[in-house]
Amino acid sequence: MSLRTARTLTAAYLGATLVALTWPGALPAARIRPLVLGLPFALFWAAAWILGTLVVLYLLDRVERRHRSEGNH
Amino acid sequence: MERWIVVTLIIAVYLVATLAIGLLAGRRASHSVAGYVAGDRSFGLVVMYFVTGATVFSSFAFLGGPGWAYSRGAAAFYILGYGVLGIAPFYWMGPRIGALGRRLGHVTQAQMITGRFPSRALSALIAVMSLIAFVPYITIQIRGAGIVIEAVTDGHVPLWIGALAAYGIVILYVLVSGVMAVGWTNTFQGVFMVVIAWSLGLYLPYRLYGGVGPMFERIAAARPELLVPPGLAASGEPWSWGAYSSYILVSAVGLMMWPHLFMKAYTAKDDDTLRRTVILFPTFQLFLIPVFLIGFSGVLFPEAPPDPDSILPFMILRTDLPALVVGLFCAGALSASMSTGDALLHASASVVVEDGVARYVRLDDRVQRILMRALVLLTGAVSYWFALDEDSSLVQLLASAYGIVSQLAPPVVAALYWRRATTGGVAAGLIAGWATAAFFYLNPELKPFGLHEGVLGLLVHVPVLVGVSLAMQPQPERLLNEFFDEGGDAGEMGG
Repeated sequence: MSLRTARTLTAAYLGATLVALTWPGALPAARIRPLVLGLPFALFWAAAWILGTLVVLYLLDRVERRHRSEGNH
Repeated sequence: MERWIVVTLIIAVYLVATLAIGLLAGRRASHSVAGYVAGDRSFGLVVMYFVTGATVFSSFAFLGGPGWAYSRGAAAFYILGYGVLGIAPFYWMGPRIGALGRRLGHVTQAQMITGRFPSRALSALIAVMSLIAFVPYITIQIRGAGIVIEAVTDGHVPLWIGALAAYGIVILYVLVSGVMAVGWTNTFQGVFMVVIAWSLGLYLPYRLYGGVGPMFERIAAARPELLVPPGLAASGEPWSWGAYSSYILVSAVGLMMWPHLFMKAYTAKDDDTLRRTVILFPTFQLFLIPVFLIGFSGVLFPEAPPDPDSILPFMILRTDLPALVVGLFCAGALSASMSTGDALLHASASVVVEDGVARYVRLDDRVQRILMRALVLLTGAVSYWFALDEDSSLVQLLASAYGIVSQLAPPVVAALYWRRATTGGVAAGLIAGWATAAFFYLNPELKPFGLHEGVLGLLVHVPVLVGVSLAMQPQPERLLNEFFDEGGDAGEMGG
């Protein structure tokens, strides 16, 4: 994947997270059931987006890293 | 032995250990401003991870988080939402700021901004506004430490002694060791906070309700309004989506603009350390989940604490936990307070001296460090004095502190990414943003949709910054080339 694509996708994911956690994106998830892992759905929803950030940033870093090592040759 | 004596002993051991770590850490740093403020730019991944985590999560998260979950329910979820959004852009901005710092010798945020927009007055303005945002924040930390100690010792150690002991130690190690002490004590404190929060957050629901799921089933039956965002306002009325959403937005924008967090970009050893700290931050962020569980476990409890912020010590003392565990919990809560308080004290002194005084008076390295230490002492004393005051309006001041720091985001972004931005544009934007935020802070009934005053400030700030910049002559080409390192001979790259 090119650096530009990886950065665009990461920025898009972060933008989606902001939408998903605020009005109006958070409206569909603003409910109690189903409980997931014992947590109300709204809390699980927020936690899941945050865990997703971990994955997305890790993947971005792999692309950035490969790009940097190629650039230094 | 009575429980409060055991608890007091554990707290004493914890405080002595923190002090020892803080004092030993300073022996590794050089005797220079770069050593005192930026730790000789030497922090590795483990230290950076815990410094960032422990600094972000303060008494507000550790005591206020459960307090919000307990009294305002899902409103607390906003705290979970903004942290990662705030820190993620630092994957790119952090290394850029760090490289500029290494090349041009910056150790503070205002030095970076005024490196691109040269103006002593702008630097002093940022220093003064930062200090205004810092004092209530430090006050809350000191008060948090005092509240916890008083509660778990059944009042035998009153607030003023507990706060004095904890912050006497913080001030001592910050004075002696500077940011090195902040780094190493925060590593210790960060581990403590995470372990205590997760173990207690899972233990309490199991002990009282037989599990996390059963606890929420019962809350859903009795108080369903607490589990659905945007939760409740402080008054108990439903909170508005406008307020909930704009709190997330302004906190995300403002988070890394806090000078004490921003300046961590100058302490990292290299760019990869900074990037990995950002990548791993979400794992630290999730520690808010057990913190919320602690608060929710108190919802259906038959008794109520004197005020929501003391729900955590209140629950601990009512679950017949052994004194040892109570003491350890207390140390965890103190960690949360002290690990933020030390960074705040240290940063406020550095900012006032570097960006305020040193821009007007020529000071040598040694005098600067002496002046910073005097200011640590002074800021600590003033905040301690406020902390003893019962006046609850300070909590309100803290919320509005985000209105102040979030206005630093447009200048930072403009400095790094927009060549056409000018000194006049940045100054006009800052003044317009702060004035707007102050106006709506003083007239909350005029806020559209209950939006946070910081967001309203930004809505005025950004157009003013752009408009005034475009109306002015661009910055001199030579300045831009030096700042962006495009001009040939200054070709040395950092890292």
